[in-house]
Amino acid sequence: MKFETTTDQLLQGVTTAARFVERRANLPVLAAILITADGNRIILRATNLECGVEISVPGKVSVDGTVAVPGGVLAGFLSNARGKSVLVELKGELLKLHTERAEASIKTIPHQDFPVLPRVPATNSFGLKAQDFVKAIRGVAYCASMSAVKPELQSVLLWAEGAKLTAVATDSFRLAEKTVALRKGGSIPQLLVPARNAAELMRILEGVAGDVEIYYSENQISTQTDSTYYTSRLLDGAFPNYKQILPKSFSTEAVVLREDFGGALKSLSIFADKFAQVSLSIEPAKKAILLSSRNPDVGEQTSTVKATVSGDGAAMSFNGRYLADSLQSINGDSVRLSSNGPGKAMLIKDASDDSFLYLAMPMNR
Amino acid sequence: MTTTKELWENALVELELTISRPNFNTWFRDTHITRFEEGVVYLGVPSQFARDWLSSKFHKDILRSLRVLSESVRNVEYVISRGPKRTEEPRTVPPPVTELPLEPVHARTNLNPRFTFNNLVVGPFNELANAAAQAVVRKPGIAYNPLLVYGPTGLGKTHLVQAIGNHFRLQAPDRKVYYVTSEKFSMDYVSALQEGGGKITSFKEKYRQYDLLIMDDVQFLAGRDKIKEEFFHLFNYLHDNNKQLVFSSDQHPNVIQNLEDRIKSRLSAGMIVSVTPPDHQSRLAIVRAKASAHNFILADEVLEYLATTIAGNVRELEGALNTLLCQFEMRGTPLSLADAKTLLRGSGATQKKAVSVQEVVKTIANFYGVEEGSIYEKTRRKEVVRPRQVIMFLLREDFRISFPTIGEKLGGRDHTTVIHSCDKIKNDLRQDSILSNELHQIRLMLK
Repeated sequence: MKFETTTDQLLQGVTTAARFVERRANLPVLAAILITADGNRIILRATNLECGVEISVPGKVSVDGTVAVPGGVLAGFLSNARGKSVLVELKGELLKLHTERAEASIKTIPHQDFPVLPRVPATNSFGLKAQDFVKAIRGVAYCASMSAVKPELQSVLLWAEGAKLTAVATDSFRLAEKTVALRKGGSIPQLLVPARNAAELMRILEGVAGDVEIYYSENQISTQTDSTYYTSRLLDGAFPNYKQILPKSFSTEAVVLREDFGGALKSLSIFADKFAQVSLSIEPAKKAILLSSRNPDVGEQTSTVKATVSGDGAAMSFNGRYLADSLQSINGDSVRLSSNGPGKAMLIKDASDDSFLYLAMPMNR
Repeated sequence: MTTTKELWENALVELELTISRPNFNTWFRDTHITRFEEGVVYLGVPSQFARDWLSSKFHKDILRSLRVLSESVRNVEYVISRGPKRTEEPRTVPPPVTELPLEPVHARTNLNPRFTFNNLVVGPFNELANAAAQAVVRKPGIAYNPLLVYGPTGLGKTHLVQAIGNHFRLQAPDRKVYYVTSEKFSMDYVSALQEGGGKITSFKEKYRQYDLLIMDDVQFLAGRDKIKEEFFHLFNYLHDNNKQLVFSSDQHPNVIQNLEDRIKSRLSAGMIVSVTPPDHQSRLAIVRAKASAHNFILADEVLEYLATTIAGNVRELEGALNTLLCQFEMRGTPLSLADAKTLLRGSGATQKKAVSVQEVVKTIANFYGVEEGSIYEKTRRKEVVRPRQVIMFLLREDFRISFPTIGEKLGGRDHTTVIHSCDKIKNDLRQDSILSNELHQIRLMLK
């Protein structure tokens, strides 16, 4: 195998692929990137058996061939390489790389055991703007659960009805839902994408302008951009019926400026205790929300945030981080907080945008 | 005869010797035999990666090792299945944040696993319905098809029909169950219509594939012609193929307005059972069961109080119990009877509202479109007699007014007239479903 390509493009492909290698795998070949030179393109493949990626890099191939090399080593070497182009050549069991100022030879791994990436049949698919899909996943993925006790909560739920794609994630303490418009495909059954894989999918689509087509089957989801094929397994499980817990009416509503609220939460976090407890009191008479946090070892703080309030006053405590998290998905100037008083979940929304909602449960003390 | 589990364990021992350790650990972890039918072993594997790889690289090895152990094995198929559930690890520190009440819903069946026969309180009020449901589960498609459960809101109809589904699902995991509300069914149909193309066909196919279809609140189908027609065809198809159908409704199908006779007669073709508001003993049992489901201990007198004051609706009973539960959690001390009384004063636990006789007369006279005054007169015109009898019946049954007082208030009649009227209505009610529907509506108006 022998080919020549630009350092930049190879590096870009290799860094992406390196995110998918599994370093602690039982199977050594899973720690490798599989490089295939074929005709006039070079294909990089990597998988951790949860999800996998296939990236094609343009280049000048003089001898076809396939080789597997440790992903970390290859990425490390290329990221420090200088010069425009790199020449790659297989000599015996060593992969030789020549750049402008350096030469390296990397020990290869037998590649016969490298698994095939599953292909998803094109029967079921939906299409939308790539950036909309990125928004949907970015808007919710941080809410997915870290604990492996309930695998269905470790994932991002995707479903669509009436040409609207909805992404949902929850760790049972808070829940985020983001809706974006679909270009193609009206309704999609519930697809549970493991949250880590969803984040990778999002990173791959981040740089894509225009539309993207996502294919799905019962067990697998995949997409193809100009240079990259990505596939992830889907979780076999049922997402809780979250719609029924979204409150429909509220006893208190307050609208605050996002900047004020975010700033207050940030500064309160300095004084918060180990549970990040922040007390929140909505005061209709003062037209304000009073926020306070207290840590016996550090001190305490109270802040007042101006608000337009309708309904009754309410006082409750939250994990401050959960409140702050919601703001990263809100782009508008003002934020609407809707509550039904102590012990009930609080709904956080962008005051001018209905596509995102966030539900936070209060602390029970 | 070895079990499939032993068979696979023995095969794995064999395979471990022929396959390199890293390969074995990577690809054979989390595999299991899901079933073994007619010589074909269905091997459950965790992902499509594993399925593709095992079937292309290790198929021969797997088949050979299974054959050595059991000669009846002819082939191996690979299916993706998560396998036996891992047991939940106990949480060490209770989280300081309240959890969202996320109820798992089984995606493929749309059933809520919370509703089972085990946690259904059975009393005289739903004994028959429960027995019919059990019969349906034992002989689906044969015993009572369709089964229709009807009764007022909040008496556990949904619980009962979902319990049938959940039980059926566990009993026959490979058969298809689906729970749908008639509203969701309508929505599905409308959106299929709007999208056009092959969507209508796939809508039809979707609903026709089920071995057990449960439709909640069928009364909402009334008045929607296209949907009724679709429902009619679906019903015929499933029924002709001996698929079990289960429905719930808040009224007897014969009295649902705007429903064609052909649908009414089909709904009535199998078994119709009603659930009635629970009696005192059953209410007590329900409160007790619900409280213990929440690990919530209540004094007997409080339970008794709940069961006595909140008559009828089970949902209201649950609501009142939740109010107490919430208070209990906040205070951390047991609730006394006095506490319960104060807490529930404002909520649904209202005593029977006092309604004047004139008001009842006025409402019922209006309902039947007769002159209010004629009720009090000594006339025996047919159109007045019936409403008058209904008035007497309701005054007696719902407001517990004595026979002589009723007679006196309604134009100085003898108490025997009143007794006769009440008996007459009571008897008519047994056969006349139109009358019972009228009474139902009048009672709603008097609330």
